[in-house]
Amino acid sequence: MTHLIHAPGQWLFLRVEAFFNLAFGERLNPLYYLGAISYSLMWLVVGSGLYLYIFFKTSVTDAYASVEYLTHGQPYVGGVLRSIHRYASDGVVITMFLHLARHWTFDRYRGFHWFSWLTGVALLWLVYAAGINGYMLPWDRMAQFVTIATAEWFDWLPVFKGTLIRNFIFPAAVNDRLFSLLSFIHIGVPLAVLGVLWVHTHRVPHARTTPPWPIAGTLTVALVVLSLAKPALSQGEADLAKAITTLEFDWFFLPVYAALYRASPGEVWALVAGATALFALLPWLPPRRREGPREGFHMLVRPDNRIIGVREGETILDAGLRAAVAFPYDCCSGGCGTCKAKLAYGKVDFGAYQRTALSDAERAAGKLLLCSATPLSDIEIEYEPEKLPGQIPVRTWSAAVESLTPLAHDVMRVILRLEGGERIHFYAGQYLNILLEGGEKRSFSFATAPQQSDRIELQIRLIPGGRYTTHVFEKMKAGDAVRFEGPLGSFFLREDSEKPILFVAGSTGFAPVKSMLEYAFARGLKRKMVLYWGVRTLRDLYAPDLARQWEREHENFKFVPVLSEPAPEDEWRGRTGLVHEAILADFPDLSGYQVYACGSVGMVEAAYPAFQTHGLSQDDCFSDAFRLAPKIRTDALELAKLGGTT
Amino acid sequence: MKKALQILFQLVLYVPLMALIGYFSTAPRFTIVPEKSALVRLSFVHAAERLRECRERTPEELAKLAPNMRAALDCPRERAPLRVELEFDGEVVYRREVAPAGLRRDGAAAVYHRMTVPAGSHRIVARLRDRASGEFNYVREATLDLAPGASLVIDFAAARGGFVFGA
Repeated sequence: MTHLIHAPGQWLFLRVEAFFNLAFGERLNPLYYLGAISYSLMWLVVGSGLYLYIFFKTSVTDAYASVEYLTHGQPYVGGVLRSIHRYASDGVVITMFLHLARHWTFDRYRGFHWFSWLTGVALLWLVYAAGINGYMLPWDRMAQFVTIATAEWFDWLPVFKGTLIRNFIFPAAVNDRLFSLLSFIHIGVPLAVLGVLWVHTHRVPHARTTPPWPIAGTLTVALVVLSLAKPALSQGEADLAKAITTLEFDWFFLPVYAALYRASPGEVWALVAGATALFALLPWLPPRRREGPREGFHMLVRPDNRIIGVREGETILDAGLRAAVAFPYDCCSGGCGTCKAKLAYGKVDFGAYQRTALSDAERAAGKLLLCSATPLSDIEIEYEPEKLPGQIPVRTWSAAVESLTPLAHDVMRVILRLEGGERIHFYAGQYLNILLEGGEKRSFSFATAPQQSDRIELQIRLIPGGRYTTHVFEKMKAGDAVRFEGPLGSFFLREDSEKPILFVAGSTGFAPVKSMLEYAFARGLKRKMVLYWGVRTLRDLYAPDLARQWEREHENFKFVPVLSEPAPEDEWRGRTGLVHEAILADFPDLSGYQVYACGSVGMVEAAYPAFQTHGLSQDDCFSDAFRLAPKIRTDALELAKLGGTT
Repeated sequence: MKKALQILFQLVLYVPLMALIGYFSTAPRFTIVPEKSALVRLSFVHAAERLRECRERTPEELAKLAPNMRAALDCPRERAPLRVELEFDGEVVYRREVAPAGLRRDGAAAVYHRMTVPAGSHRIVARLRDRASGEFNYVREATLDLAPGASLVIDFAAARGGFVFGA
């Protein structure tokens, strides 16, 4: 049933948006910025209201006169701003309902969207309360009507039972205090609107709260023109001794008040309460859209090589942005095509979008729009990064193998020297892709710190049967040419925090941690840093001396090796067990820490939930799993191996 | 040229939006009270008499009470409901029995009723009983000429003798 409304609704929205694209182009189509335009109009309302408040007099004898002075005494400032105040408020109602209708039509209100939906319903009430309250202030006949109608409506409630109207039934009952109260409400409720707006958008990744300036500018100019052409006027001074007969009516804000005089207050309460309840419950009403597991799906994002959870009903773009993936995007409405990417594996619901943004041929070739598509299975996505941290461009480099040094029975240190004396700039923790013949790529983290930019250390672990790692261990020799692309990835040391850092390295996950630590030492970072390096047996701990040297040289650094299965011959007296359990034993409260974890997906997946139950904030968790999760396909295990696992 | 046409097209698309806002912010006009009608509202808040009369306590009863609680009269708190009737040109248009407010029914009762009537001369009778039984103990009747758009408020103030017909 819902689908029968959604489908034609989507068709209609897409057709109208396509029509607007002809005029505005895909990047400046106002219909793609309905929420942001609502924000922008709210600021216009607030700004114009502040000016009006300077001249508004909060007394029963002067309220009307002060608004008349604003309207007629300074028509090109006060008059225009009064009109903008009203028309922008009406505009908020239009854009707010269109925004709501689009999200409902495109099925973006269920599942995890419930929070934004519910706060949106609260905003509806608050915007209406603010607007209706605003109509009381000029104390004209409209104000008289709105005030009395509000009292008559609320008097139906058992708590009032006909007593509220007594405050407005005789002229003598209205005094200056009423206007102080109304002004207080008219400041307080819009503040609440802005507060709930902040909450409403805070949980939406990269939510736009300002439209592009050409849209905001044109809209403002259009409102000014409308204000000059048809100024908002008062409708004669209020006179409680006379009945309100006919009014010029604001049908954006007052339709419920019209209903009050065509039905009983009780019926109007039932209508409003029923509509509110229906709106509030919509995310949970049938039919359920359950097409996959409740916990959603996983996606592997390339070139970042990160594995990210996608919640039920969440677009790939939202999931990526939530995890700070630098996906390119613009309209977020399937119109501009900026977020076009390649579906390398898995099934998706492509969603509703403009054919100009994604042609059928592109779709057949495996392309999708990140902002429209939702996963129907675990997926792999390849996208073209527009920008990476620090605006460091990604490019292809040529280098030569300078040396090969075995670090352990299955780990090889490979030093690359860039050709032509070039230097590469990267962030500590990032990685590169070695380019193989046939177009395949192998990912390895920089083990060197960024300050050593003329040569690059990789720590490559031998994977039996692995094409490239076998080549490294058996055939690679000094002088061999290597081509790679980079720097890549968003796993890097954040310097905008003073919290102590816990590094969690699993096996060759030590490589990016080494880069980060050497960078931190060189920078003179004084934050407390502890490295937990988890390996299976003592022989897998391939650089303990280096870590112990750091410990001796830097008071703020501590090294804790953890062996999960120490061999008898290891005669190990140190920590044993799983590395994250060792951390939790030492740090039962992680609320004041940052954690950088680099290891297998299994390690990361086991560690993070445990860390979070011990107070670690999601914002302080940084990880770059370097092996594909079992949930993602297994026929390309060599695809992602940050830290050099294959 | 194409850019100019596109900008023109954009401006053209803003026109219907502004027209929509400009029009529906004031139109169509809404009629609350028709032009040739008047508004009559019955509104008052009044505390009725107690449901049962006060009783004088016996000396024995007083002796059982704490010294500071020895009031001579024992007055039940509950008040009688108000019985209200409004007759308009010989026809009863409003008749209610209104319970006192409060969990113990010891508060004042509030009455509110609005009606739109044709402008002109009308015979209005308001009746109230604020005790447990008996006939209406407050009655006021008057013939009033209500102008179009006039607002008549029928209030009640026992101190002023009962119903007050006024603007």
